[in-house]
Amino acid sequence: MILNPKYSSLVIALVLILFGTISAQSKINEKVLINYAYESTYKPEESSKIIITNANILTGNGDSILDASILMHKNKIVAVGKDLDQSDATVIDAEGKWVTPGIIDIHSHMGVYPAPSLRSNSDGNEATSPTTPHVWAEHSVWTQDPQYTLALKGGITSFHVLVGSANLIGGRGVTLKNVRSRTVQGMKFPNAPYSLKMACGENPKRVYGGRDSEPSTRMGNVAGYRKAWIEAQEYQRSWLEYANTPDEDIEVSDIPSRDIGLETMVGVLEGDILVQMHCYRGEEMAVMLDVAKEFDYKITTFHHAIEAYKVADILAQNSVCAAMWADWWGFKHEAFDMVWENTAIVDQAENKTGCAIVHSDSAVGIQRLNQEAAKALAAGQKAGLDLNRERAIQWITSNPAKALGIDDQVGSIEPGKMADVVIWSDDPFSVYSRAERVFIDGHLKFNIDDPDSFQRTDFDIGIIDPEGDRL
Amino acid sequence: MKLMKLIFFVVIGISSLSAFAEKQDILIKNATVITSTDQGVLDETDVLIKKGIISSIGKDINSEEAIIINAKGRILTAGLLAPVTNLGLIEIELEAETRDDRTDHFSAGFSISSAFNSSSTLIPYNRTAGITSAIVFPSSGRGKVFSGLGSVFKTHGNIDTQSIFTDIAMVMQMGGNTDSRASIFLELEDAFLKSKQFKKSRNMIQRGGFFDSGEYSERDLEALLGLMEKRKPLIVKTNRASDMLRMIEFAKVHEINIIFHGAKEAWRIADRLAEENIAVIIDPMDNIPSSFDSIGARIDGASILTESGVTVLIGIADAHNSFLSRQGAGNAVANGMDQYEAIKALTINIAQVFGLADSIGSIEIGKNADLVLWDGDPLEVSTFSDAVIIDGIIMSNMTRSKRLRDRYLRVIGLD
Repeated sequence: MILNPKYSSLVIALVLILFGTISAQSKINEKVLINYAYESTYKPEESSKIIITNANILTGNGDSILDASILMHKNKIVAVGKDLDQSDATVIDAEGKWVTPGIIDIHSHMGVYPAPSLRSNSDGNEATSPTTPHVWAEHSVWTQDPQYTLALKGGITSFHVLVGSANLIGGRGVTLKNVRSRTVQGMKFPNAPYSLKMACGENPKRVYGGRDSEPSTRMGNVAGYRKAWIEAQEYQRSWLEYANTPDEDIEVSDIPSRDIGLETMVGVLEGDILVQMHCYRGEEMAVMLDVAKEFDYKITTFHHAIEAYKVADILAQNSVCAAMWADWWGFKHEAFDMVWENTAIVDQAENKTGCAIVHSDSAVGIQRLNQEAAKALAAGQKAGLDLNRERAIQWITSNPAKALGIDDQVGSIEPGKMADVVIWSDDPFSVYSRAERVFIDGHLKFNIDDPDSFQRTDFDIGIIDPEGDRL
Repeated sequence: MKLMKLIFFVVIGISSLSAFAEKQDILIKNATVITSTDQGVLDETDVLIKKGIISSIGKDINSEEAIIINAKGRILTAGLLAPVTNLGLIEIELEAETRDDRTDHFSAGFSISSAFNSSSTLIPYNRTAGITSAIVFPSSGRGKVFSGLGSVFKTHGNIDTQSIFTDIAMVMQMGGNTDSRASIFLELEDAFLKSKQFKKSRNMIQRGGFFDSGEYSERDLEALLGLMEKRKPLIVKTNRASDMLRMIEFAKVHEINIIFHGAKEAWRIADRLAEENIAVIIDPMDNIPSSFDSIGARIDGASILTESGVTVLIGIADAHNSFLSRQGAGNAVANGMDQYEAIKALTINIAQVFGLADSIGSIEIGKNADLVLWDGDPLEVSTFSDAVIIDGIIMSNMTRSKRLRDRYLRVIGLD
């Protein structure tokens, strides 16, 4: 039994209390209570020794190493540099091509809004109540979504699947590795923290206001978050009180009932679950930082942060990331003030301490997150900001890794990290560049020259031609 | 003259102050000219613009009167065309009152030509990114089949912008709803039949006779007649290969010209499309099998089509970012499409298919001087326009977005 060390200390403590003290309650299902019943079962086969030579490496740590090698073994990056020992290793000559860490998309709905977009598979928004922290995106994930393969061909090795933005508090998100499995557990990124999706602005108030129910305004939104956090605090208190009650005074009726929604919210209050918040407008981000202050939790990232550039200094001061598109805009009023330099401004704010992320929220965009970063980089450079490829690659590698709490495992090319690596046909900041080879945990999962190199989803098999595959 | 920026600044000042002022001649020197014609790419070439028209193309052209733009090392293309866009009809998708792309009153005859908003923020934004003409269509009309008629607008933003070509083509949709596609074909049959009856009854109607136009207005029936009599193209939005094949047969029976839009499975019938000389409008980046009608979607569709001899037009559904057709073209090239074909798919192919090629779509003597000077490869995502010229006038390169950028670069302390 391996406990996720990141998992809620509170809940683990409660388990120990329950099991240690109350024999009457020993039948409480421990596994249910601490949620590791839902643990990742992804265990890559041990990978053989592979060395990528003659590589120009964008490390993801803000620098580049030209004409160097990357040694991968047993699913990890073992060494990076020049003159590495190649013995027993399969040599892949990158021929001077660019090599980057596997690309990470912090905002995806693959699996929960799969292709084809059928009503029967539209599982991303539990839009039946504005506050649904009890739902988990992973319980909607369809493992045979053909979009995973398309993303793989774009160099995506990990992605975060969020619930939609209909609700103020939408539910838990999950980080997946871009590997095929019959089960969602088999795709789950091992030991990645969960996220809680929250949403600002137009979407919740449109969905519920349209039904003549609360919230119908932005102030209704904020009242809704605050009410929910008060409830979460009370829930947290009731369990703590219970935990602090001397054994001899405890009666079965004193044991608080479980509430899976409030468990998730307490996970946020405990710092174990990361808040990923859909929020377009600058002033709303500032208000949400106040809400977070009132209830003493942290917002990890504002997503779709069209107006992040207006509050880039405030975001940097509060160590909050912004996940942005390069140029989407105008589909609703809160997306009207888009600037191409958004990502660059967030990155450069407060003496370059900003945390900028380029995200997709789109099965089209996720296939070329490198191009989206390229557009954002070019716009920033054109505006005279001090940016380069080395920095910009972080927007789609180490920064999303950090914002997902997995930066100790992925997001850069350095020894000890998972061997998630992409070899590009060309400058990854060019429209003409394609991911030629994609390694996940040291295994070649896609090779552009070999149609048999990647595993197709069930959906793609025999669907357009019974004799062949869709792609 | 040595300080190009200064010249731009002055010219922009003049043109924005008095849009109707006498047009000054412009001489673009030493550009790499991507002509979009059989001339291909001309290195170190000059282009002279007189009175808004391209008047000569060649080496060592001189002019006493012209403003000179030194374009050495930069690329000149024809202004890009946005095929099938809502540009000028939509400001914010989710705000119904900012939308003029839909109606419940008309169907086939829904002309949007009076609704174009030349002051839309989308126009300077897309113009600075290279779009100089937009072929603007409605999104939906009454009923499920016909959306209406499209017109062509330039993107100079003059307050009194009128269409340069009006009601040039009709758009319709097929598939993707809960009604049977067979019913759509039957409805098409009925509509065309009705319009033919309407034609025969015109004299009778003029004499005061009664004609039952059914669910269509006389305007709708006139529009359908325009497809048959004037061979205005009918744009059919569909993705499924079988729909396209049936539609080809339908078009033959009724003697109309069709263009497929969306057309994710067009590659499957590429030879047939080439044989019938039917063009397709596609977004090369949209390879998602988003419905069971588009299972065959693939990233190299544009390449397969051009290899087979099909005329490909590249367009993006999103009006706000119509200019991303450039990125679409770049991705098509990355996936096998010929680079020059990709430029043509953004320019001359669109002009030709819609019958606009006498005036726009390529760099040729006698054509409107709608030109874009780029600081790099026009299909590359990191390339910006240095100058956009429409009808021989250098356009302002300012957008609301840039104003916001500059304001907040100061606020954040990055200026």
